[in-house]
Amino acid sequence: MHTTDVIADVVATPRGYADELAGGARAMLPWLAGVVPFGLVIGVAAAQANISTFAGWLTGPLIYGGSAQIATIEMLSAGASPAVVVLTALVINLRLVLYSGAMAAYWRGTPRWWRALAAYLLIDPSFVVGSDRYERGGDHTRGHVHYLGGAVLLWVAWLLAITAGATLGARIPAALHLEFVVPLYLIGEVSRRLSDVATRRAALTAAVVAVVAFALPLHLGVLLAIVAGLAAGLTAQGVRS
Amino acid sequence: MTAFVVIVLAGMGSYVFRVSMLVLAERARLPEPLERASGFVAPAAFAALAATGVAAASLGADVATAVPPLGAVAAAVAAVRLTRRSYAAPLVGMPVLWLLTALVGD
Repeated sequence: MHTTDVIADVVATPRGYADELAGGARAMLPWLAGVVPFGLVIGVAAAQANISTFAGWLTGPLIYGGSAQIATIEMLSAGASPAVVVLTALVINLRLVLYSGAMAAYWRGTPRWWRALAAYLLIDPSFVVGSDRYERGGDHTRGHVHYLGGAVLLWVAWLLAITAGATLGARIPAALHLEFVVPLYLIGEVSRRLSDVATRRAALTAAVVAVVAFALPLHLGVLLAIVAGLAAGLTAQGVRS
Repeated sequence: MTAFVVIVLAGMGSYVFRVSMLVLAERARLPEPLERASGFVAPAAFAALAATGVAAASLGADVATAVPPLGAVAAAVAAVRLTRRSYAAPLVGMPVLWLLTALVGD
């Protein structure tokens, strides 16, 4: 579909598209309850890290993926090698290739500007909200508007949360040890995901390898731990199937 | 300066991942092991980062310094298991950390 066709379609039935836009935003609301606190934590981490707060904040619009952002900020703050930091962030964000592959079927034939924008906004919650709407069938253009409603709300909320955390974080006394909020938050997130044996094996292996490899130079331990966790998860899954 | 370059590179790489299959979809299919591995990326990454953070706060330190973070982790895990809510971890863990720091820590 050409750009002019999309615009003409939207103009022809503005009410229907407004409903889709609002529907996408509504579908995103439950995600915000979990995402906003994580954004606040990242903002606090950015303010307390040994890099400029603005650099930490910039991970929001540029990397736009919570765990990769946290890894980037924490590792830069700890003085890790730049190559290791970039590699770690990219390993963590590798799942975006999968999301991109899943959305490709729905976005095929759309204007280039749409694919560029939609891909930029693609992350776990927007992927789920968008693919859920596309799977319900019907006109794909309505699905695009639904996706946009949820994805833009998420992006705005995410950046506002990071900004709020960064602003507050710079004023908080070091004695409160707020840097420990990040590991605790991640522990909570991991615990929530331990639904099956393979995932438990992946998380446990990653944690053990991270501690054992803690003293490795260039902070290679995190990268090694993630790769070991993936291998353990795949092995456990293979054995069970 | 280095931090900005790293963040820009990580951002550019992440964007390439996001558009990769949109560009290649009509010609290629993702390798099956990579597809299966995607489900383990978040738990493995979160566990690795959390363990590194806890290790940084407790490894090599004397007992009085190590007790508060380890106690906070134990309380956080217990809180998540009891409530089944991930946000319970920092909500319970941080007060425990402060309390133990006041009692035995620095």
